[in-house]
Amino acid sequence: MKAAIRHLKRNRGRTILTLLAVLIPVYFLVFMFGFSNSIVSDMFETATRVDTGHFQIRHIERRGMGSAIPLMHDSESVLAALDEIDGVEWRTVRLDMPALASVADRSQTIYIQGVVPEEIAPISSIGDLVVEGTYLRNGQNGAVIGEELADLLNVGVGDEIALLGAHPETGLGVLKVPIVGIYRAPILAMGRTVIHATLTTARQLARSPDAATAVIVRVDDVKGPWDVGKIEAVTAQLTGSLPDGLEVLDWRELAPQVTGYMSILRPAMIIFAVIFFGLGALVVLNTLYLSVMERTRELGLIISLGASRWRVIRMILTEAGLIAVIGAIYGALIGVALIWIVEAFGGIPLPGAALADYMKVVGMKPVLHMIISWPQMVISAAAMAGVAIMAAWFPAYRASKLEPVEAMRYVE
Amino acid sequence: MSNSPLIQTLDLEKTYITEAVETPALRGVDLELHRSEFTAVAGPSGSGKSTLLHLLGGLDRPTSGEIFLEGVALSGLSKDQLARLRMTNIGFVFQAYNLIPVLTVLENTAFVLELQGIVRAERIKRARKILAELGIEQYADQYPNRISGGEQQRVAVARAVVAEPAIVLADEPTANLDTATSHELIELMRRLNEEKGATFFFATHDSRLLDRVSRLLTLEDGRITQDQCR
Repeated sequence: MKAAIRHLKRNRGRTILTLLAVLIPVYFLVFMFGFSNSIVSDMFETATRVDTGHFQIRHIERRGMGSAIPLMHDSESVLAALDEIDGVEWRTVRLDMPALASVADRSQTIYIQGVVPEEIAPISSIGDLVVEGTYLRNGQNGAVIGEELADLLNVGVGDEIALLGAHPETGLGVLKVPIVGIYRAPILAMGRTVIHATLTTARQLARSPDAATAVIVRVDDVKGPWDVGKIEAVTAQLTGSLPDGLEVLDWRELAPQVTGYMSILRPAMIIFAVIFFGLGALVVLNTLYLSVMERTRELGLIISLGASRWRVIRMILTEAGLIAVIGAIYGALIGVALIWIVEAFGGIPLPGAALADYMKVVGMKPVLHMIISWPQMVISAAAMAGVAIMAAWFPAYRASKLEPVEAMRYVE
Repeated sequence: MSNSPLIQTLDLEKTYITEAVETPALRGVDLELHRSEFTAVAGPSGSGKSTLLHLLGGLDRPTSGEIFLEGVALSGLSKDQLARLRMTNIGFVFQAYNLIPVLTVLENTAFVLELQGIVRAERIKRARKILAELGIEQYADQYPNRISGGEQQRVAVARAVVAEPAIVLADEPTANLDTATSHELIELMRRLNEEKGATFFFATHDSRLLDRVSRLLTLEDGRITQDQCR
């Protein structure tokens, strides 16, 4: 070990180059993971906050329902079951159904979300997007509609619209409700179709006092998709306590587009890792091979004195191992330090006003906050160190195969 | 002590083949070396002295013939077995000192003991003792590039004898030394031979060394032409 350290000190330039070949891929990967974690986390938060929650309890769909979600009539039992288990941060009941909004000679197909106004904030930003009038209050008979729908129907706050409920499991329900607020939607289609009404109003439209389409749940201390275990721990507690005919759907089933993006990101990161580890390994191999060539005579001497092949291999691998471990540790530390520095300056602002605005309206900050994943950091560092040591095997093997007499003549 | 030879060669031949050109270096050498001998093989450049030394030390393999070291045929040994044999039975002194530059004098001296797996305290003790006997203990913590050529060659001798091998093979050990230093080194090796019974076999054409050996072999064109005991 002492000799290995002295060998490394003897040719500092080469040692530093080899160290950088290990260090740069590690810090780059740690940094890239921080970046990709932040994107994944934002996608996850957007999906689970704006719409799905971490999981929902719904009635099992036994037949095609088109855009409608099957109705359940035992949401109170579900809420009671949720109150009995640990880890639930928040839950609410919602009744979503397709409908037709009509005023005089104009009409538009819409999607009503019947909500409990005081509970809905954690998964909906519509309350914050109201630009005219107010958001709903509990028990109020009214609706909050998007600007686009208001324009289409030519209505404003205080006007009444006729809603024609069209859920496949109910007959047609007709209701006249006043418009209490108008919101500015981040997406045109949302403003044209999504309206919020109180759960009571939606149930009247469904002609059922206990109808719901989902109980939506958020779980304590979930920061990203990597905390899926915490979600599963909560859903596992529900096994056996739910009324018959209900099922638990987690965010992966409710927002498959997010898992789709994540399944693209993961292989992309693996490809990055393979490329960078490969380049690092090539530099390690090259520099150690040069080092072995330069020390041919010295290695020949060591073999002459009786060192076994394994001893020679061990000697070269010890040097490589030292560089690999030191490089990997420093690489990981630099990666973490860079992430901390970026975070100290407030994260990475999203490019383009449109994207930033979109993030704002869905309740997210228009900056990417880099997230360190300690397991990713440790795995990146350990993998690079392992790859570097494997790359050192070839020069070590070549050194062990030197013929002592030829090796000692090498520079003579 | 048995009268069987320490080293015996039978019809030893070595031919170097490069690009279809065959260059015979040894052409049938029969030789016996005994314990506590202080022997040199002399001869002009290219006569095969170094080749003979390398073959006897298990550093190279003969084209034909056999070498026995303490009755063991070297041709039957694998590479690692040969390495082990060199580590335990043979000490080497080379013309160009050949110390390991990143190790101190003490560490260089103890290197073979380390290869043998001797514990650190023991090898340090033995290395210091031999350095003291050779009068270079004061350089124990120096690196080879900080001491003179003569001192480096003394360290090489210390390294060669520290593990008390069966034989020390020395290839032109005095070639790079001035007369005074050369004389000191020769006397030192002679003393190790007389006092400790260490067996030396030199390949040299240095008359200063040839004058002090007790047996002189002459090698010409790959054959031993003279074998004189003094």
